Amino acid sequence: MGKPLIHRSPMPGLGLSMGITLTMLSLVVLLPIGALLLKGASYGLAGIWETVNRDRVWAALFLSFHLSLLAALFNLVFGLLLAWVLVRYRFPGRRILDAAVDLPFALPTAVAGISLTALYAPNGFFGQIAAEIGWKIAYTQWGIFIALVFVGLPFVTRTVQPVVEEIEREVEEASASLGASRLHTIRHVILPMLSPAALTGFALALARAVGEYGSVIFIAGNIPLVTEIAPLLIIIQLEEFNYDAAAAIGIAMLLISFAMLLAINLIQVWSRRRIGYV
Amino acid sequence: MQIEIDEISKQFGTTAALHPVSLSLPSGALVALLGPSGSGKTTLLRILGGLEFPTSGRVMFDGQDATGLSVQDRRAGFVFQSYALFRHMTVFDNIAYGLNARPRASRPTKAEIARRVSKLLELIQLPDIGARYPSQLSGGQRQRVALARALAIEPRMLLLDEPFGALDAKVRKELRQGLRDIHDTTGLTTVFVTHDQEEAMELADLVVVMSMGRIEQIGKPQDIRARPATPFVREFITA
Amino acid sequence: MSDASLAKPARFRPATEEAPVARWAMIAAAFLGLGILVFAPLIAVFVEALARGVAASLASLATRDAQEAIKLTLTIAAISVPLNAIFGVAAAWFITKFDFRGKAFLITLIDLPFSVSPVVAGLCIVLMFGANSAIGGWLVAQGYPIVFAMPGIILATMFVTFPFVARELIPVMIEQGRAEEEAALTLGASGWRTFWTVTIPNIRWALLYGVLLCNARAMGEFGAVAVVSGKIRGQTATMPTTIEMLYQEYLSVAAFSLAAVLALLALVTLLLKTALEIRHADQLAATHRH
Repeated sequence: MGKPLIHRSPMPGLGLSMGITLTMLSLVVLLPIGALLLKGASYGLAGIWETVNRDRVWAALFLSFHLSLLAALFNLVFGLLLAWVLVRYRFPGRRILDAAVDLPFALPTAVAGISLTALYAPNGFFGQIAAEIGWKIAYTQWGIFIALVFVGLPFVTRTVQPVVEEIEREVEEASASLGASRLHTIRHVILPMLSPAALTGFALALARAVGEYGSVIFIAGNIPLVTEIAPLLIIIQLEEFNYDAAAAIGIAMLLISFAMLLAINLIQVWSRRRIGYV
Repeated sequence: MQIEIDEISKQFGTTAALHPVSLSLPSGALVALLGPSGSGKTTLLRILGGLEFPTSGRVMFDGQDATGLSVQDRRAGFVFQSYALFRHMTVFDNIAYGLNARPRASRPTKAEIARRVSKLLELIQLPDIGARYPSQLSGGQRQRVALARALAIEPRMLLLDEPFGALDAKVRKELRQGLRDIHDTTGLTTVFVTHDQEEAMELADLVVVMSMGRIEQIGKPQDIRARPATPFVREFITA
Repeated sequence: MSDASLAKPARFRPATEEAPVARWAMIAAAFLGLGILVFAPLIAVFVEALARGVAASLASLATRDAQEAIKLTLTIAAISVPLNAIFGVAAAWFITKFDFRGKAFLITLIDLPFSVSPVVAGLCIVLMFGANSAIGGWLVAQGYPIVFAMPGIILATMFVTFPFVARELIPVMIEQGRAEEEAALTLGASGWRTFWTVTIPNIRWALLYGVLLCNARAMGEFGAVAVVSGKIRGQTATMPTTIEMLYQEYLSVAAFSLAAVLALLALVTLLLKTALEIRHADQLAATHRH
């Protein structure tokens, strides 16, 4: 009974492609992650809890998560706007804007980190302007927020753009011909159509921001309990050769990542089931 | 409602989709705009619906100039070729959409909306599908839901773009009768676009044959069949 | 006649468009937002690098540490990117040419590195291959250290860039189907011949696209590499980790000069990527078509 594990196929290369795929996946990704989980299992949930349940760790996890959430929310709104502008409007410079959206993917995080710090430090270009009104950005949570917005910027735009392209003109016309104002059409027809893709992009931006290190540490200030992010705490523990503590925090972060990955998949399944597309 | 098309023309860039055309549609008539693709019939329908603005000329509804009336204010029940149902809404919400979109002052109560929607579902003979999503309907059911959605706003006329174009031959025959019945029940002036001369001849009271942005002939089906005004019409209706 | 001109609005707005005011406000917001968030940091890199003139900037790039860092980064990319390209092609072939149970789960596993923090990725590799672990201890005893050495950096780089090529190829190969390969096979072509003469020409631009993104990330990876490299100057310090060290030592021009090299690389990547999207949109994954 049951389906065969692998269907017979006339295609060549089954052994080779499966071999390369599974070997490399195991060696590069699965075994190392397994090593972390094994380490966690060796001192059990109670042991992990003991390490994680300290003010400094909670503060770092909370900081990473809540600033990532705020940054992802900003990117949700701005990303929707960008996707709409880039697909629907024709104006000089559109191609350049479109390409610029990907810069946070292409620019190394350390480069972004020192550059943002140079701009927002009290003597930097934007930092000076902010200082005039008594607003300190670099070395505060504002700085971390800006760095996280930077790294998460492309996700929502890039997931929403293809969906905006596929909206049929007739659907918008139908809404208008039924008497709906443009604003009503946007709220009740267009945004609901975009929301599965936008939510996926939001979750991706959130996952990226929670784990982000390179672009944040320069601008963060890294003051324990105030501007210390969770990934930095892992590095600090490693530099003190405190592998157990590093692993415990690492597992906590890994579990957060898994939860978000699950959320992304559920969003897509839900959307496909309900309206037949993602 | 009586519809008067007065010297309407439409340019897209340098190409003329419609040369000035004039046409008078009596109140309550069931009218077919018949022609091959590129004849300007859909452009004319979209101008009536307020989805395109004519390059010149006027549209009059019951003697009132309606040329500049926005699509929202026009209350033309428009049924699109692809039906353009809202995929993320149930059939019920699709039909109720136009009523829910009204400003609060003129919006019916929830109970009233529910009552009207179920009446419309009965009219299209699909009383039990309110909770379904469009992706769960057959092509013929979608077409009827699109019709019900257009009727929900109590339109002043009914405009249909190739209403049977996406359906197979058997369903097409059934739905023709369905449209005829709905027209007779509501008494609305109804204009539909088609490239199928048999469909136009069988269903319409008045057939407008179009070609290359011009009107070739206007008349009752039997008159057009008996006395084609131009060689184009003769060829097209015997094809 | 005059009624008509009275009734006609100043400018007819199609039902699918926003009011001009809203449109221009949104375009302005897009320019402003991207200007502050993206263009300003990009420009700042070059401004800071050239703060003491071109000569000072070039001189800082000519130092031994900078040269070694550039060499190491290039070497690491030259090893890890081809390996990931081979993986990507093999995985895409396996996933799109065969039917098996657990396919969706396999795809999720391949995507996993995208949702794991680079620092956690580095940590995983340290725990697996570090001197304290069983495997790592044995390897060190044999004289092959992984962590704080090149192999560890390569592994960390491969981990964070692992999905890039596969993720680009899978949707393209699903869309293209199996018919062309099947035709080649019925005409008597061998498996390899089919792969090189039918499959590769069909996926080459998508492959290049994936390799491009993989390479950009590989050269710029910081978090994972910082954990596994030990940042030994002249030995295991890559360009991004060297930038950090120079910056911490207040050698701003040197740090930003090295950063400018990476920023130029990023710009070239974007340029090539945009060119691919314009010229070969039909061969790229659907999500990039715009």
